[in-house]
Amino acid sequence: MSDHAIEHDHVHGGHDDAVHEHAHPGWQVYSLVAVVLIILTAMEIGVFYAPFLQAWLVPMLIVLAILKFILVAGFYMHLKYDGPVFTTLFAFPLLLACMICGSLMLLFLYLGRHTGY
Amino acid sequence: MAAQPKPLHLEQVNYLEGGGIYGWLTTIDHKRIAVLYGISALLFMALGGTEAMLVRAQLIVPNNHFLSADFYNQMFTMHGLTMIFLVVMPLETGLFGNFLIPLQIGARDVAFPRLNALSYWIFILGALSLNFGWIWGGLPNGGWFGYANLTERAYAPGLNIDYYDVGLLILGISSVMSALNFFVTIVNMRAPGMTFMRMPMFIWALLVTVILLLLAFPALTVGLIFLFADRYFGSHFYEVIAGATPMLWQHLFWIFGHPEVYIMALPAFGMISEVLPVFSRKPLFGYPMMAYSIILIAFLSYGVWGHHMFATGMGPVADSAFAITSMLIAIPTGVKVFSWIATVWGGRLRFTTSMLFALGFILEFTIGGLSGVMHASAPIDLEQTDSYFIIAHFHYVLFGGVLMAILSAFYFYFPKMCGRFMNETLGKWHFWLTTIFFNCTFFPMHFLGEWGMPRRIYTYAPDMGWNFWNMFESISAFCLGASFLLFFANIAWSWFNGERAGADPWNARTLEWSIPSPPPIYNFVTVPTVHSRDAFWVEKYGDVEASGLAEKRVNVEYQTLPTPEEIAAIHMPLPSLFPIIMAGAIFLAGVGMLVGWFRLVFLGLGLLGFCAISMSFEYKEWGEDNPHQVHESFLKLDNRKVGVWSFIGSECVFFASLISTFMVYKSRSIGLPDADILNIPLTSFSTFILLMSSLLMVLALAGFQGGKPKVGTFWLFGTAFFGLIFLGGQVYEFTSFYREGMLYNTNLFSQCFYTLVGFHGFHVFLGVVWLLVMAFAGMKGKIGRSRALSVELCGLYWHFVDIVWVVIFTLIYLMRTIKRA
Repeated sequence: MSDHAIEHDHVHGGHDDAVHEHAHPGWQVYSLVAVVLIILTAMEIGVFYAPFLQAWLVPMLIVLAILKFILVAGFYMHLKYDGPVFTTLFAFPLLLACMICGSLMLLFLYLGRHTGY
Repeated sequence: MAAQPKPLHLEQVNYLEGGGIYGWLTTIDHKRIAVLYGISALLFMALGGTEAMLVRAQLIVPNNHFLSADFYNQMFTMHGLTMIFLVVMPLETGLFGNFLIPLQIGARDVAFPRLNALSYWIFILGALSLNFGWIWGGLPNGGWFGYANLTERAYAPGLNIDYYDVGLLILGISSVMSALNFFVTIVNMRAPGMTFMRMPMFIWALLVTVILLLLAFPALTVGLIFLFADRYFGSHFYEVIAGATPMLWQHLFWIFGHPEVYIMALPAFGMISEVLPVFSRKPLFGYPMMAYSIILIAFLSYGVWGHHMFATGMGPVADSAFAITSMLIAIPTGVKVFSWIATVWGGRLRFTTSMLFALGFILEFTIGGLSGVMHASAPIDLEQTDSYFIIAHFHYVLFGGVLMAILSAFYFYFPKMCGRFMNETLGKWHFWLTTIFFNCTFFPMHFLGEWGMPRRIYTYAPDMGWNFWNMFESISAFCLGASFLLFFANIAWSWFNGERAGADPWNARTLEWSIPSPPPIYNFVTVPTVHSRDAFWVEKYGDVEASGLAEKRVNVEYQTLPTPEEIAAIHMPLPSLFPIIMAGAIFLAGVGMLVGWFRLVFLGLGLLGFCAISMSFEYKEWGEDNPHQVHESFLKLDNRKVGVWSFIGSECVFFASLISTFMVYKSRSIGLPDADILNIPLTSFSTFILLMSSLLMVLALAGFQGGKPKVGTFWLFGTAFFGLIFLGGQVYEFTSFYREGMLYNTNLFSQCFYTLVGFHGFHVFLGVVWLLVMAFAGMKGKIGRSRALSVELCGLYWHFVDIVWVVIFTLIYLMRTIKRA
């Protein structure tokens, strides 16, 4: 039936587009990630309270939050191990969400300030 | 209620037969649900059309008082809401999406059949909520976009806007559920061999449409929640006096609203792309460019919302940016128009009613597109905005474009749906009368708009120079309405008396035409394997017929009645009462919100939760792969996992809208308290707890995956316990703020804080409930190694709640320095 456009068959071969998932890590990796998360959170709080870091507060907090975000998404949500489909399903909406946040803040806090927005 | 799998009588049954009324109420068959959507939407079309007639009757002569001013407001508002949310969307995604997606991709049903039924019943109850004002309290009357701050309680004291708010919230739930379902179905349940570039164009259009739905509706939901809070809890999200701005509503609404335009337009593009090749007897011209155009339109549609707001004073930079993106989006749309023309060009055309409507679509939609692209220019838009020119423009897009495509699809797919043709003579009368009177009704509106007639105007003075054309338009509109009586009569007559249609009455190209009309409940006796685009056409004519001008069929093999062995291999999902009960629970909660009786809200939500948990145990084989997933999924992924990730994606936009509101309003808040009230030590502790709960969650998953269910169960309880500690911290924080005088509506800071952090807490609460259900199931030995995926899904949700908190903790608690520039 190879010259047919459709075959009606119970047996299905492999698909080129198929996504293969990898095994998830064990408790050692999970625990290590938890330790790093605790350290990063402690750093966030430290940065918040340290008077000499106030000028760098915003960029440092953003970097630390992004690192924590990536660790949880990558290891605990298994994006590092699962197929790229899931990363795409998460990354595209996340990008859009960031664009919405950025656009609204830009419009209200900067671009529209002369017009009483 | 807890029905167990029983043998189905698959041999003789087409999907329309059997079951009686109970069968239809409990059905989870995608084709039956499609029919339910279709009937409902046609009834609402009659209602929406009547509303339009009343609007035109009011405007037929100057100084007319046929309707009261308030009732006139209700009529044009309900006409818009009805046609958009209760007619066009249900027809495109509810009727045609439901019916065609599984058939065109070679599946037996959608990914989540019970969720599909639930979506329908929620849709019906949302529609009733929107229309409840017919009998009590008055219909929505603030325009379909319900601009703030006219929707605040001070300016709209009746129930009208409450129906609008709650109705759209409920309809949004339905739309997102359907979108998630269709997304998973298309991504994961295509027949073997059906790669993305072999999908029918309608499937492409639906795929992108549901992505738009998933990622656009949450912004509207957030806007509606703010509106509800303003009206019921005394907050001031849209009130200038409190430092807020009504512009926030416009942004949230149009972040949803412009993608919504494409949510309506893209399926229409897909339908036309199915009809034109069949009646031109040629393949679709430029298939790859058509697919890429759909993707590009969708992507750009998120960046053009500001062109609805040029008149609001966004500033020259923002105006320019939105003008550029709005002009850009015309390019892929133009590509599609040229591709349709090229498809028809040189073909051997068959002028069926369906083809006539498809050709009519190209003409009318192009006119609407040309008047639309004018509005990409901010100066021109300022001249035309809120005038009848706009009414003309969007009716050319939505009636001349989208509705024509829907009518084309109706005549095209009716034989597949019920096994009978629609009457062609009546159909052609319908087409010509509709086309003539549509243009007579709406084309003069361009002139009226340019002559200064504002939209939504109640009546006008006789010396404005608008008399003749208003009279002309109203008479034309009545004739247009009458032409639809032919359509309804044709459906009713043809359903019972139409000429019998075979499996492939149009000599068509895609998989759905390879099965009997109407289809059997299992769709395909055996799941097809696809080797090319236009698979059924190539099956019939072979590759040599790439030109599509074949005279003689070869190798035609329609699927016929199955053998007993084949029957044994078919597993179909069973009917369920849960969807209709759950929709009733949501309706109960909605009524509770409307009347301000929050015990009813909690009762409804409680019943909803109880049913959701019970439904999980409805099948004896709880936790196993969906019983209807009878063939290997295309991507070798579990539908539920794809579904949970899609839901998480949608939640990203929901929280983004909440967070951006907080960031925008933080510096606008008047008086105390402000961010200095936040308790950093307490919240830091809660943050550690939540992060550690994620560790326990993955340990639980590792336990189940490693074949140690007791270990897994222990960690599940641990995760739930940590979640409860987090919630306890939040309750303590909220109550201490309350004692210090920070009420919900104290100022912008308090209402934004409570809303954002409260919604996160609500998500944590749902997560804890889910965890406890899983933990108790684990205790009872219901989660073995093979069912560890159920724990993984719960974990995904839990970790998402965790990373949202990572963002909230940083932006809301620690980052207090962003001030208005």
